[in-house]
Amino acid sequence: MKQENRQGRQERQGAESKTLRHAQSDSLTGTARKLLKEKKADLVIGYERGSSGRRARPAVIREEKDVDRLIFDNTCGPSLVPFVRKALRAAQPGTRVAVVAKGCDGRALVQQVAEGQLKRDQVVIIGVGCGGVVDARRRTPDARRPGQEASSVEREASGVLSDSCRRCRYPNPPVYDVFVGEPAEARTGDEFAGVAEFEKLAPADRWAWFERELAKCIRCYACRNACPMCYCEECFVDQTNPQWFGKSAERPDTTLFHLVRALHTAGRCVDCGACERACPLGVRLGLLNKRIEQEVRERFGFTAGLSLSAAPALAAYSEDDRQEFIL
Amino acid sequence: MSSSLRIAKQDMDQLVSALTSRYRLFGPVDVDGATVLREVKSADELALDAALDGPVKAAFFPQTEMLLSYDGTTSEPPPGRDKPTAVLGVRPCDARSLLLLDKVFGTGKYRDSLWQRRHDDSLIIGLGCGTPLETCFCNSMNLGPFDSQGSDIMLTDIGDAFLAESCTDKGERFLKAAYKSQVQRPSQADLDKAGQVRGKALESLAPAADFSGVKAALATLWDSALWDEVALGCLSCGACAYLCPTCHCFDVQDETAPGTRQGRRVRIWDTCQSALFTKEASGHNPRLSAKERIRQRVMHKFSYFVDNFGEAACVGCGRCIRMCPADFDVRLVLQKVKEAGKPGKAKDARRAG
Repeated sequence: MKQENRQGRQERQGAESKTLRHAQSDSLTGTARKLLKEKKADLVIGYERGSSGRRARPAVIREEKDVDRLIFDNTCGPSLVPFVRKALRAAQPGTRVAVVAKGCDGRALVQQVAEGQLKRDQVVIIGVGCGGVVDARRRTPDARRPGQEASSVEREASGVLSDSCRRCRYPNPPVYDVFVGEPAEARTGDEFAGVAEFEKLAPADRWAWFERELAKCIRCYACRNACPMCYCEECFVDQTNPQWFGKSAERPDTTLFHLVRALHTAGRCVDCGACERACPLGVRLGLLNKRIEQEVRERFGFTAGLSLSAAPALAAYSEDDRQEFIL
Repeated sequence: MSSSLRIAKQDMDQLVSALTSRYRLFGPVDVDGATVLREVKSADELALDAALDGPVKAAFFPQTEMLLSYDGTTSEPPPGRDKPTAVLGVRPCDARSLLLLDKVFGTGKYRDSLWQRRHDDSLIIGLGCGTPLETCFCNSMNLGPFDSQGSDIMLTDIGDAFLAESCTDKGERFLKAAYKSQVQRPSQADLDKAGQVRGKALESLAPAADFSGVKAALATLWDSALWDEVALGCLSCGACAYLCPTCHCFDVQDETAPGTRQGRRVRIWDTCQSALFTKEASGHNPRLSAKERIRQRVMHKFSYFVDNFGEAACVGCGRCIRMCPADFDVRLVLQKVKEAGKPGKAKDARRAG
């Protein structure tokens, strides 16, 4: 298979999967109410207003009377995919979970189906067009001052839009069962511009940047647990027999954790930015993940989360795959 | 007795150098937008106007701390301290957290020599909280944004200067030694300004919640379905525990260099939200899911710690809310606990599992 074809086929498969209607007139709450009423879903996972106006909170809705809590706006940052998995794990077999999905969350759901982690009929995807979400921890000089966690947040004007959203090419989920509202317009420009900019730095400066970022890490694993693609029942850093990794928050250990995790999500990461937004100390993980995404795109013509059936890049072999590193 | 003085912000270097000559000084430092506690050498490193993201406990209970080093036949304790520790810019919630941790490590039934080594003779310079955050609830935990408990000296930001007031003899002695006769006394206008700042802070806090019935309610809720619901909103990461100023659980690890018998034994912060926290050598895990783990966290803070030390292990700093990737809000959980609690049905849940 030629690389271009592989990519093209994926996108076609994605488009074909848009089987259900594009219900622009349906409100989010109306859609959720209907899904519960018609028993098309046993519960709805979406967002509700959080404790601070800057961040929405994942919400699990079981009854029609609670659907009015649902919101969707640019504070809806967390990926809901880990919450879907949690809910399914806790529920009876046969439970169907409806989930509000931005473009990135939709891609993560698709990728999980492609990887055999989720069955397509376990989820009802309520697609929403996303204009980008704010990174509530992005510390603009004003936003981080006590008492100034504004209850309404302007997007790029105040510099609080997530890095991943600034380079997002898939603001709408590639696969959905029902779509609410208007689709969002995809951004244009080079999504890897940030990577290119970073690569202009001398190797020593790049390493210094990583060291500085990773020195902030406290090994809380918020990045991993908020990640829609980190679904291992036992993470490599939690294995004890044998124990592969040191547990300290000192640099060699934190560096290894992040590097191995980045490699483990290669060809699977959908660049939703949930990891960066989850980090309590603002470690910028997205750049590394984006560089790996670029590598996978160039080598295998693969973009994660566009096709329900395409074999994941690192789980597939093609004779055309570049292998110049093998002598 | 207690003295007060005016320290112009441009003269903070004098305070910092007086501190660093006598103490190993820690303070809030901005690292690319995150405010974390770091060792400080000069005043221009300090970020005193932002809420500290990392917890103050790290000055006395570092995340990774060597207990001993070994070479296979003998072991060595870690090197002793050369100076006592001082922390500058400690918010009242964090100052109180150090008092709670001292009950665990310093003065209780079991004394932790590493804690004592760092904590004994330490100097805490508090900083009143002029602009509390939306996530702050110190007033619900019997505390206020200008409480001086746990601080030796208390600073109040009055614009171009800090009003510094000694709260303990130790604080008084330090100020006297540091400033000798060059003390600038605050004017009446300074004192009025400080009063306004305090008043405004109290006004901006949300009304205090009444969590008084929480412990009694928890005793009836061991098997409650409440925990299933609460657990659905938790990602089981360790952000809350590691950023919590009172969480103090740790793991002990031996790190031996490959192919040798040389290494070190370290203790590292641990969190009850991790599955590994209770995983036994057999593979059995008594806290199988997020439900048991989040219940443990709430029970430990608001029930067991009260049994052991007479008060809750929470100071209302709100980091666990502000820093949670899922916007999990412990205030809402405590409210639900109060509502779901069934008085009269208490049983001793403590050892039940």
